[in-house]
Amino acid sequence: MPPKTVNPDSLLPLQTAVFHILVALADRDRHGYSIMQDVSARTNGKVRLSAGTLYSSIHRMLEQGLIEELRESPDPDCTDERRRYYRLTTWGRRVAMAEAKRLSEMLSQARETGLIPNKP
Amino acid sequence: MLSLRFYRTLLFCYPAPFRHEYGAAMCSAFSEQLTEARRSGGWRAETAVWIETIFDLFLIAPQEHYQVIRQDLRYAIRTLMAQPGFAAVAILSLALGIGANTAIFSLLNSVLMSALPVRNPQELVLLTNPSSSGVAQGSQTNERSLLTYTEFLQLRDEAAVFSSMMACQSQLDRIEARVDGGPLEEIRTRMVSAEYFTTLGVPAALGRTFAADDGPTAPNAVISYAYWQRRFGRSATILGTKVAIRKQVFSIIGVAPPAFFGETVGQRPDFWLPLTQQPAILPGRDWLHDKPGDMEKTMWLHVMGRLKPGVTIDKAQAAANVIFQQGLAAYYGSALTPEARKEFLNQRLLLRPAATGVSQLRGQFAEPLTMLLAAAGLVLLIAAANLCNLQLARATSRTREFAVRLALGAGRGRLTRQLLTESMLIAVLGGIAGFAAAWVIRAALLRLASGAIDLPGAPDARVLAFAFALTLAAGLILGLLPSLRTGSIHAATGLKEQGRGLAGSVAWQRVGKLVVVGQLALSLPLLIGAGLLVQTLRNIRNVDLGFAREQLLIVEVDAETAAYEPARRLPLFERLLDRIRAVPGVRSATYSNNGLFSGSDSGDEVIVEGYTRKGNGDRGSRYNHIGPNYFSTLGIPLLLGREINSKDLPSGTKVCVINEAFAKRFFAGRNPIGMHLTQAYANQRNTFEIIGVARNSRGNNLRGEVEHRYYVPAAQPVFPLQEASFAVRTLAEPSSVFANVRRVIIAEDPNLPITVSRPLADIIDDRIVQERLLAQLSIAFGVVALLLSAIGLYGVLAYGVARRTNEIGIRKALGAQHREIITMILRETGLLIAAGLITGGALAALGMRLIQSRLYGLQPTDPLAYAAAILLLIAVALFAAGLPAFRASRVDPLVALRYD
Repeated sequence: MPPKTVNPDSLLPLQTAVFHILVALADRDRHGYSIMQDVSARTNGKVRLSAGTLYSSIHRMLEQGLIEELRESPDPDCTDERRRYYRLTTWGRRVAMAEAKRLSEMLSQARETGLIPNKP
Repeated sequence: MLSLRFYRTLLFCYPAPFRHEYGAAMCSAFSEQLTEARRSGGWRAETAVWIETIFDLFLIAPQEHYQVIRQDLRYAIRTLMAQPGFAAVAILSLALGIGANTAIFSLLNSVLMSALPVRNPQELVLLTNPSSSGVAQGSQTNERSLLTYTEFLQLRDEAAVFSSMMACQSQLDRIEARVDGGPLEEIRTRMVSAEYFTTLGVPAALGRTFAADDGPTAPNAVISYAYWQRRFGRSATILGTKVAIRKQVFSIIGVAPPAFFGETVGQRPDFWLPLTQQPAILPGRDWLHDKPGDMEKTMWLHVMGRLKPGVTIDKAQAAANVIFQQGLAAYYGSALTPEARKEFLNQRLLLRPAATGVSQLRGQFAEPLTMLLAAAGLVLLIAAANLCNLQLARATSRTREFAVRLALGAGRGRLTRQLLTESMLIAVLGGIAGFAAAWVIRAALLRLASGAIDLPGAPDARVLAFAFALTLAAGLILGLLPSLRTGSIHAATGLKEQGRGLAGSVAWQRVGKLVVVGQLALSLPLLIGAGLLVQTLRNIRNVDLGFAREQLLIVEVDAETAAYEPARRLPLFERLLDRIRAVPGVRSATYSNNGLFSGSDSGDEVIVEGYTRKGNGDRGSRYNHIGPNYFSTLGIPLLLGREINSKDLPSGTKVCVINEAFAKRFFAGRNPIGMHLTQAYANQRNTFEIIGVARNSRGNNLRGEVEHRYYVPAAQPVFPLQEASFAVRTLAEPSSVFANVRRVIIAEDPNLPITVSRPLADIIDDRIVQERLLAQLSIAFGVVALLLSAIGLYGVLAYGVARRTNEIGIRKALGAQHREIITMILRETGLLIAAGLITGGALAALGMRLIQSRLYGLQPTDPLAYAAAILLLIAVALFAAGLPAFRASRVDPLVALRYD
């Protein structure tokens, strides 16, 4: 568990994979493969997490308290016992929001300089 | 299915804890990914998934390992910081062990293995003998050691197998020179042919090197980088600086690159000068021409060639020998009898790869250094064994900690890995400190060799690899036993452990004892070897020269370089002798041509009156030219007849004195006085009447039998004498008259070069540098080994006593006396020592045979060396056992019983 006094900014910038996993878990709890599918779908296949990257990131994120593992499968139909489900923690949500804010600020700065057009 | 099994195998690239935690989930995700890919995109998509996965593996697996190692390291550092005493002892002893080994290895590497810092050294071949140096005049049979300048020119111009060839002076000269009009200073010079730098492929760091079109008489000089730095502070404006060396003023045209020291390992010239300048640098001699007819070739050069691509060394050797033979045939011409001609033509070149350069050191130091490396290796092994025992003891005392970690779910592999990380951390820290220590030790060793070796200092990849390998090995030895120890810990019993040791630790203490026995066993041969080598040094230091070496000053002058005509040399030597004898503090003085232990010698065929030769090996004898009263000044008694004195004049009967060995060999049972011997070389004959027999004395070699030899008056020379080496007997220390002797020589002729002026004792000391090095280092290693073993013994016994405090308490409560307790501990120690001595004795019996060739005046089984080593070992071991035994006897039964 992270100490409550820690500022989410201290973890920034997040690794791309970590941010994608946080985003994937933002709307619902997912198992590993579901995270991989979600990231791929959201990025139109541009970002594809491999199992190694996924679980290495999950390992680190669990240590940092960004996510937690669910003791039971939320999906009663699931038959694969090897599947492990993860949920975003409050701390994880705060960190993800801080990262989103950071990215958005960078984007506005780029817009202000005229590097990219104001409207996409 | 097959692909999934393959993926599972790939997962072994990840650290075990990660694999255990996520392996199944990863397999599941991967198989779903693969199924999905197959469904949507066929084999192409499937292949893409595979490629991504494998790529991912290469990226992520090292990251995960790094994380684990970092964790282990952090834990290891914390553990070590908690026990700074242990950490310091461990790191320091490893640093010493690794340092000593690396230092000796780096010397071996420089002397034996390092390639010359030149372009493609593997293409270079040497046409001369790498261990030869100096100047040889006359002829040589069988393999030719050095070449003459004429021979080099002929080979260079005619041998098509070499892309280029160079020649260089085989010895380093120390000459006084005036640099840029300054005062006289001593510089080290080597004469080289114009092709020297281009053949080696060495470009100048500043200016240029010699060029073939410099013209034969251009007085150019190239200086070494070190000299440039030392003398000129690396000033870029030194090109063109004038350097006056004897009869020539040279102009500096370039600076050699920093790493370049020349072709000879162990020597570092300051100046390279053109060979063609020999008549100016060494005046009075012509070493550039083989004059047919006088039969005296001056062989003084090493010759190296660069093989043309595709030419083998055998082919080059055959081609070079054809040219060499043609040259010999032309030189010896028809002046000789057919037999003599056949003998003079019996010479050939032996080509050797020259990548590692020329070295006189190689033959001299390769064996002693290898021996020392072996000894240092044993010391490191003993040190590592000590640390291993310490680690073992720590692992035992940490049983509880490990049991807790096991109970909390840590894998056994994880604990092993943790212990190995700890050991490796100690080893790496020790290795780094050791590598630094190696350069200090190396410098100290070179100082011990008293300037006999001058080697480049930079460590190369081979030395680094050696130090790394040692570090790795030390880390493994350190971690191995303790790791095995954790294998036997059970979470349940370990938790019940109260810090005293569970049943299994008795067995592990036995392992500790075995290690100590091994240490004692390894120390014994080191001590015996040290004893033998120290005695060898003493024997060789005290070897009977046949005269007293104390209070004897040697001063050598070179009349030829000072351009004295042969006829004026004898009067010069006699005048100098008179002047030296008149110096206050000089008791007596004499001189000879070759001097004492100078490295020079003369030898020719000898025909002895009334003696029939027994074969070809029985026809030569060494001889020396001596001044008047040579034997009485040195103190060599005459056994028969009289010695050569000032009445033996050039015009008188030619006389000589023979030594005992000569008399024994050629005059067994006959009286040699009044008989004659004839010196013969080519067509030259000189017959001398024997007027005396002197007792055997040593003036050339400290080892081996005294060779048969005769002495002729300098006044009746066989060949024009170039130098005279004065032996000055002094009343007090030789240094007391040194300045005055020098002054009278300068008063006679300020231009007369004084080539040597040192006490004989110092000259002999330089001769026994290997013996000294071996004796001093083996003593150091022997003592360190013994101390380490004693510490090891103390550690095991002290631990044993601590572990058995309870038992000892019970024994005392039951009435055991102090003495009985002490006897009990000492009995245990005695067993360990006995086992160590028996094993060590066997090892020594085997090992000492290897150093037999290094011994002098004693056998490898010398009982004194064995007895001394054994007694010393027993004494130190008992001392080490004393403290734990005493502590055991002081155990208070009441306290001990509460101890648990």
